[in-house]
Amino acid sequence: MGIQPAELAEPTRDRTPTRPALHQLRRDRVAMVCLGIVALFVLVAVLAPLITRVFGVQLDAGNPARDLDAYNYPAFGPPYDGFTWRAPLGISPNQADDNLAAWLYGARTSLGVAAAATLVSTLIGVATGLVAGWSGGWFDRFLSFVTDVFLSVPFLLVALALAPVLVSRFGADPERLQLWQLVSLVSVLSLFGWMPLARLIRAEVRHLREEEFVLAARAVGIRPGRILRRELLPNLAAPIIVSVSLTLPAFVAAEAGLAYLGLGVSGLPSWGRTIDQAVPFFSTYPLYLFAPVLGVLVLVVALNLLGDAVRDALDPRTRHGAVS
Amino acid sequence: MRPRSPRGLAVALASLTALTACTADPGRRGDAPPELDRGGAAGAFKNPELRPPAPVPDDAADGGSLTVLTAESPSTFDPTQAYYTDSTSILAGLVTRALTQYVYDPDTDDMVLAPDMATDLGRPNDDNTEWTFTLRDGLRYEDGSEVTAEDVAYAIKRSFAIEELPDGPTYQRTFFVDGRQYRGPFRDGEDYAGVEVDGNDLTIKMRRPFPDMDYYASFPAFTGIPQQEDDPATYGRKPLATGPYKFEEYEPGSRLTLVRNEEWDPATDPGRIQAVDRWEFRFGQDTTRLENVIAADNGDARTTLTYDNVSAATYRSMQEDPDRLVTGTQPCTYMWFLDMTRIEDIRVRRALGYAYPYENAWRALGEIVGVTRVPGTAILPPGTAGRQELDVLGIGGRDTDPERARALLEEADAVGFEVRFLYATDDDGRVAEKDAIVKGLEAAGFEPKPVVSTVDTLRTDRTDPDAPIDVRSSAWCSDWPSGGSWFPAQWSGDLVGLEGMPNPTNFDVPEMDRRQDEILDTMTPEQAAEAWGEFDRTLQEEYYPAVVTGYGGVAMIHGSGVGGMANDNVRGMPTFARMYLAQ
Repeated sequence: MGIQPAELAEPTRDRTPTRPALHQLRRDRVAMVCLGIVALFVLVAVLAPLITRVFGVQLDAGNPARDLDAYNYPAFGPPYDGFTWRAPLGISPNQADDNLAAWLYGARTSLGVAAAATLVSTLIGVATGLVAGWSGGWFDRFLSFVTDVFLSVPFLLVALALAPVLVSRFGADPERLQLWQLVSLVSVLSLFGWMPLARLIRAEVRHLREEEFVLAARAVGIRPGRILRRELLPNLAAPIIVSVSLTLPAFVAAEAGLAYLGLGVSGLPSWGRTIDQAVPFFSTYPLYLFAPVLGVLVLVVALNLLGDAVRDALDPRTRHGAVS
Repeated sequence: MRPRSPRGLAVALASLTALTACTADPGRRGDAPPELDRGGAAGAFKNPELRPPAPVPDDAADGGSLTVLTAESPSTFDPTQAYYTDSTSILAGLVTRALTQYVYDPDTDDMVLAPDMATDLGRPNDDNTEWTFTLRDGLRYEDGSEVTAEDVAYAIKRSFAIEELPDGPTYQRTFFVDGRQYRGPFRDGEDYAGVEVDGNDLTIKMRRPFPDMDYYASFPAFTGIPQQEDDPATYGRKPLATGPYKFEEYEPGSRLTLVRNEEWDPATDPGRIQAVDRWEFRFGQDTTRLENVIAADNGDARTTLTYDNVSAATYRSMQEDPDRLVTGTQPCTYMWFLDMTRIEDIRVRRALGYAYPYENAWRALGEIVGVTRVPGTAILPPGTAGRQELDVLGIGGRDTDPERARALLEEADAVGFEVRFLYATDDDGRVAEKDAIVKGLEAAGFEPKPVVSTVDTLRTDRTDPDAPIDVRSSAWCSDWPSGGSWFPAQWSGDLVGLEGMPNPTNFDVPEMDRRQDEILDTMTPEQAAEAWGEFDRTLQEEYYPAVVTGYGGVAMIHGSGVGGMANDNVRGMPTFARMYLAQ
């Protein structure tokens, strides 16, 4: 589409790089479908209590003695007796808890944890990148060193080591333990997810600070804080958005993986935990396993495709029809 | 005896590789699982006349190798320290012979106490304070040297070295002469008055009557250990074999390979055979994977077995192939030990018995009701001599009754009574069990307060006398099928306040202690058996200090090429001593 004279004439604040990108995104059918899917998942997560009530199911309300057969398999519904509205996704073996309720609340945990971790890691990454890139010198080297240190610490090891520490600290009070497990889960994810963005931002800032508009701003004596916020940050919107859209699915997958390893929040339903419990039943009760697997799979693929589309749209080199 | 951990506690990381093998589709739901024959005799039978050699079954192939997969890892293979059912069973069945042994009797499906290195089951004096065993001729170690009565005497002295060799059985301290003073050969030298050797004769002297010595003599601690070969720190890495197999390679926590011991002579052993060439034990395996491998029964899996209890899923699919499923009992009682100092009102304790959600908790934990967990209410497990079939609450140890619990609580003016108990937060089954218990207690008007622990710390947290908990969940297994291995070990007032909390309810009632002393010191074995059954009833009717949450059961599987595998109902393990490759 190129730069139109009319756009040149517009006031600066409206000439953001995101506008043509949004335009292109709207024309990208895959991206729109993925956006729809993601929106649906968000809706499910937000409305989980309402949806469970509509279906008449409840979280963790199993009664094994009543609802299971002699082999601890469901006495009604899948896998043996077909669909029933009593439990649309069946009930779990051993615990007899409702699978649909666990799935819906699992979506909530998954998206909630991933969103929180993405927010925190983006804030850390942007702040570190901006300061490092702008300051230069020894402080830049110091922050780059810290970034490298975090990159080299094995993430899984920290997660594994943290779990027993929390249990021994907050063991006497399961509710506080749950809170702190949640906090630690988000912290672990974000503490080990901010480094790529920080490096990217730092490189961009080092490049931008030599640009004429920044030099001009400095020359007229604008304070660095204001330059960072007003001049640099808007130009970094593209890499930040791309980073967010790719970090989110990674965290969804990581949350499921950690819960699978038993490092999630105890007592909080999670797809990863359900998968862990369902693995022994995969040949006899596949629905139990496949519902959460499909949840993780569809959400991660949708988020990834959407992220790719956003990156393509924001990057002038890959923007469709960007021939000027 | 201590049970292996009640469920496989596979490390979560190991299950990363779980999604590999696959089982055949077992089709539709079958009938209910067969109710177990309640108990069996758990080794109450004795046969002092059993003569060597043990018959080799007709369908046994000569040679080959058997593989054993398990999620657990035996803590030791030192004969003196072996007290968990897995190491005891592997050592006693295959590697180290003792004075007596348990031999499987296929006709009754029971274990029978029979002579081993001794020619009979020992000869007690009139008041059971002196036991004499005579060793057979022709007993040799794997290096060809002779097993002498001195070696067995040394092994007995060695069992007093609790500091160097902890965690073993400790009846020698309670019953043998100078049991409390002698601290083993490493500290106090060879001079110990409790054992005397005369040629092939070995005499053990007691300070109080010990009618169960013949049972106790079957523990690996009563094997032969040549003193010149002994280093307590390393002996457990390669105990000298007297049985049909010897250690070839042992990596603690991961694998053990046993090969034929050519020096073992079947003409001296009434209980063991030597049909296969090798035994390969693999420890710390992933539960799901090992079950799928054995259930699929392809290739090497045909000669593979496990002694872990299988999951409900595998148990169900194995109904198609019941010949490869071995079920049976284990003389273990699971209990919710109620702390008598914290729950002082018996009405509240009984209310807990009504409120406990037996079946929901078992199933949540993955137990198969009636198979791996058998309902019951007596503290003595089925098969114990003199046991009475009790039901003091009238709910059969199974039918939770929240209304009656609530009525009792209201009567005691204790609605909202706080019940604190431990659970492991890193084990899904334990968390689910905890959830079930919380729901059950709430329904009855209690205020449950679960306290978080982990699989690794559960045991230490539970045995801490100052832990902020009101009940302790644990199991106790018979060392031999008499009440004498039950009540003195857990319900004696002397044990209150000791390290490790051997008396988990803090049960300290002088009258009941006197009753125990009377049984131990004045009664014949027959009278004592009767009296222990009565003691169980009195304990429950008048004190109700523990909620019995069922007895242990086993459900093990093996490949189609494994022969002779039955349940050793003394330990809940395979009958290793008589297993072979089927032709």
